[in-house]
This record gives sequence, structure tokens and C-alpha cells, in this order.
Amino acid sequence: MVLILLRRLGQAILVLFIVALISFLIFRYVGSPVDNLLSQEATVQQRADLEEALGLNDPVYEQYFRFVWNAVNFDFGNSYRGSLPVAELISSRLPATLELAFTSALFALLLGVITGIYTAIRRGGLLANLILTLSLIGVSLPTFLIGVLLIWVFAVELQWLPSFGRGEVVKLGWWSTGFLTLSGVKSLILPSITLGLYQLTLIMRLTRSEMLEVLRQDYVRFARALGLSQRSVYFKHALPNTMIPVTTIAGLQLGSIVAFAIITETVFQWPGVGLLFINAVYFVDIPVMSAYLLLVGVLFVFINLAVDLLYLAIDPRLRDSQLSGDS
Amino acid sequence: MLQPLLEIKNICVEFKTRGGALKAVDDLSIDVQQGEILGLVGESGAGKSMMGAAILGLIDPPGRLSSGEIWFKGQRIDQNPEPFRGCEISMIFQDPLVSLNPLKKIGDQLVETILRHKRMSRAQAIDRACRGLIEVGIDPERLNAYPHTFSGGMRQRVVIALALASEPSLIIADEPTTALDVSVQAQILKLLKKLCDSRGTSIILITHDMGVISETTDRVGVLYAGRLAEIGITDHVLRSAKHPYTQGLVASTPKIDPDSFGRSLYQIPGSMPKLDAIPTGCAFHPRCTMRTNKCSQERPPMMKDTAACWLLEEME
Repeated sequence: MVLILLRRLGQAILVLFIVALISFLIFRYVGSPVDNLLSQEATVQQRADLEEALGLNDPVYEQYFRFVWNAVNFDFGNSYRGSLPVAELISSRLPATLELAFTSALFALLLGVITGIYTAIRRGGLLANLILTLSLIGVSLPTFLIGVLLIWVFAVELQWLPSFGRGEVVKLGWWSTGFLTLSGVKSLILPSITLGLYQLTLIMRLTRSEMLEVLRQDYVRFARALGLSQRSVYFKHALPNTMIPVTTIAGLQLGSIVAFAIITETVFQWPGVGLLFINAVYFVDIPVMSAYLLLVGVLFVFINLAVDLLYLAIDPRLRDSQLSGDS
Repeated sequence: MLQPLLEIKNICVEFKTRGGALKAVDDLSIDVQQGEILGLVGESGAGKSMMGAAILGLIDPPGRLSSGEIWFKGQRIDQNPEPFRGCEISMIFQDPLVSLNPLKKIGDQLVETILRHKRMSRAQAIDRACRGLIEVGIDPERLNAYPHTFSGGMRQRVVIALALASEPSLIIADEPTTALDVSVQAQILKLLKKLCDSRGTSIILITHDMGVISETTDRVGVLYAGRLAEIGITDHVLRSAKHPYTQGLVASTPKIDPDSFGRSLYQIPGSMPKLDAIPTGCAFHPRCTMRTNKCSQERPPMMKDTAACWLLEEME
């Protein structure tokens, strides 16, 4: 088990090096850092001095490893705007994005799996068909439109929920959380639904089709023939088998929830890293952009790692094939 | 005469389609006696498996049991087969590789089945599961193993242990050996037969293999296009089949003897009709070499309790 973990970790680190390379290339070659740091009146001598000081004349691989080394130490340089360290900017914004992503992932996963199972078991039923029809809306409406619609209905017309911002937050060390105040929780609702709706319908439809597939399998028919109760057949036998493919997709979707948070954060003026990134793009703030890219890469890699480990926990076949060394 | 264990009276299984209802099983009646092994033989699509599923009420929609009655130990079960499922009547499926839940240990699957049908503690159920495994020739140490660590033959042994776990009076074995190697087939059939003999359990053995029929069964029913063509003691049917279809089936079974080397195997001309194009009269008449005018006009009833063929009427 430890061996598998180490191997997966090794793969993850390799991927991270590649992500770091891309991130580095953007940092180094999109625009010149010197142009951004010096005023237009700078002399050639000043430029050369700065290039030397920044190490831009060193071999590329040396620059790359310095970039990685700095990244490992959470040093991404300073933002071109305001000259704050990028790491500080990101760590102050990260809790907002992660809380939003976590809430909408939870919303999408729970509701998606439940409705997916329901529509599979009650296939052709009235409510099941209604849910399926409604789910088309989630698939076909773009995120920003859903966000705007929700704001219009619940914030403008009904005035139940706030239309923007995070509400009051509580500081827990460097982490700021909105979970502990009423206004924080209320502020989370609309953005979470907006961000999670697409994933919800995706997970629901996937769960449904996988469940229908599993229910056709012989081991489900055999379980029925053995006289096991409907509940056991559905939830003890069919559901775990359904969850294997659902876990993969859900894991990947969790990563994209963080990545797609950009749009939702813009619509709701959510003070997270997505909004930070969008602003960085406006002002060609390269250090922030490359650090964001690296961050999303790290998130994806770790989510995938977690999904792989979850697999091993669910599927004994995989566990054995991994232990015996072929993958 | 003793009351049969299972009586199937005139059942029909229908599939509703846009083109109307298709009959996968058409007016079929058959009895199973206590302790006997009844074979059901026929080509693919003859309705063998559908009949097995019908007994347990396991026909997948849009198919359904549209008419007829099924009686088990004097109780009518076609309306409400659930209490009998797995308890009094078990089923074994064709492919042992996919019959077991891949994510559950075989011990857990056994214990769950036992606890579902028997009042006992978990420890007792585990003990019973161990004995069940020993009976089918599997080391009880492997209670905690997952299905994928077993070979096909071993998995079918586990399946048999599961089917016998609740001590049913009847096992419906739907092509239990088709997916296995020939050498393993014989072992599995012998095992199944031995375990059922010692318990007095009846078996309905569904197969398309005449060899399996002749070695294993006491009586055999021959199905064609969802109808019973012939039924009788296995030896009689194989030696002197009355129905031309059965004769064809027997003649087209390969035999290993020096005389038949180099000779090509007999084939019944044509193929079984599709369900939406079943011929009038006797369903077999377009392929029959001995057909008369009457065969294409009237459906033959079961003659003298042996075969549904007009030829038997003329012999009287």
C-alpha cells in the first residue's frame, strides 16, 4: 500500500515539474520582466544590470530550477501591480475560492448522485422524467447566465440572499472562513449553486446511466435471484459498482470547479483567486498569472492522486493488480 | 401420482413492441417432480432462459408473464414470486465470471444471502458459509477473497454454494457450464448433481448441449420457438425421439466413434423463426421433412404426453 502511494506520488511530482515548466515559460517569455519593472526612460546599462540581477542571463535550465525552487518555498516574486508578494496575494484569496468550490462540489455530488440513483431506479416515472428534463437546463445554460438569473430572482426580486461578495468572514489563523457567520453562509448559496449546477447535472446523468448499466449486469440479476431485498440489491450491490466511474469524473470535475470559478467569481464579485486572476490578465500581471496556473496544476494533480487512492479503496481488483506490480 | 414440486400451466411470456406483442414463450406447460433433474433443451432464442426467469418473476421489462399459472408446493407463485426467490427456488446463471459482485468478498456475499433467508447470528452464518464452501470444494480460508482471484470454474463453485446457501427445493441452472472449459464442465455438473441428490433438491437444467442433457438429466423437455415440442424420460427421448425436431437435434449432435469420422454432421435445414414471424400451425413445419398439409394449418397439441406433432396422431 505504501509502495503504491509512493509510486503515485512520484508520478504526481513529475507532472508538477512539467506544469512548473509551462508556468515558468509564461513567466519568462510572455513579455519581458525587465520592461515591466523599469520605466521607459531606463538606460541600456540599467536594463543590463537588472537582467544580470534577475539572473536572466543564466542558462535557461538554471533559471527553471531557480523558479521551481522558489515556487517550492512559496516565492513567486512580486506582483507588478502594487508590488505585493504574489504568495501573499494568493494565500489571502485562496480560502474564498476553496470554500466556494468545496460547497458547490458537495452540492453537486450529493444531489447529483441521489437524483442519479433515483432516476435510474424509477426509470420512466413521472418525477424521474421531470428531473431529467430539468437537468437539460443545467447542461445547456451557460454559467454566467444562471448566475445572473439567480441574482435577479433571489437577490433583486425576492431579496432573500445577497447578490455579491462574501459577507462577514471569521479569521482562523491565516484562513478566513465564511462558514461561521450567517451572512457568510447566505452569500455562499447563490454562487455555489451557479458553480455547481453544471457539475450536478453531469454527475446526475452519469450516475443514472452507470446505474442502469450496472442493473443490467448478471451479478445484479443473480443477487435478485438469491432473493436479496431491493434495498440491498440497489444500494449494497449496484451502487458501489456505479460509483467507480462516477468517482473519476467527479474528481476531474472538482478540479474544473476550481478552475471555472473564475466566471462565477466575476459574476458574484467573489473575492477569490479567480477574480484575482482575471484582474491579473487585464493588467498583464505575469507573476500572478503564472502562480495561478501553477496553483491550479497542483490542485488537479492532488485531486487526481486522491481519486486514484479512492479507487484502490473501492475496487479490490485494482488493488491486487497494483500490488502485483502491473498497472 | 405425487403432487409435482413445480407445475407450470399454459404460461405465455410476451414482449410488447411497436409491431404488437411477441410471444417468447407460448402456451407452455411442464411439471417438475421432487428430486428430479429436468433438462430443457433448444436452440438459442427458443425461450429456455425466458422460462427460467418467468418462474422467479425475473423477466426484464418490457417482457412480462401475460397468462398462465405457476404453482410451487401447492401454492400459486406467479403473482408474488418474491418470497420464494432465493429461498425455495434459486437460480444459477450462465457466466460465473460476471455472476458475482466484483466489489464484495465471497464470504460477505454468502453471509448476506444466508442471513436473508435463515434466522441465525452472524457467527453462525459465517460457519455455515464455510461449510458451504467446503461442500463445493473450496478452501474456507478463502472466505475473505474477492471474486477476481478465482478461476471461472472456481467461481461457478462459489455461485453454486450461494445458490444452495438457503437450502432451496429447486435450482434453475441456466446454462451453468456453457462459459467453462469442457473438462471443468463435467466437474461442475457432477458437483451440482451430487449436492442436489444428497438434499433431494430438484434441478431445471437449461442448456443447448445434448451431451450435458444425456449425462445429467432424468427427463428432458425440448423447446422450439417458445413452445414445448417434446418431453419425456431422457433415455427414451434421445433413443427414439418422436418429434422430427428432436430427431434432428439428436442427429446433429457430434459423436465420438470411429464410424462417424470424416462424415459431415447432420444439419436441420433452415433456422429458427424470429419471434415476429412464427409460422402458422406447427412452428417447425417449414423446416420439417415430414410435414403434411395439416401441419401448416393447425397447431398440434401435446400427443400422448410426449410430443406436439401431428405424426403421432396418424400412428394411432
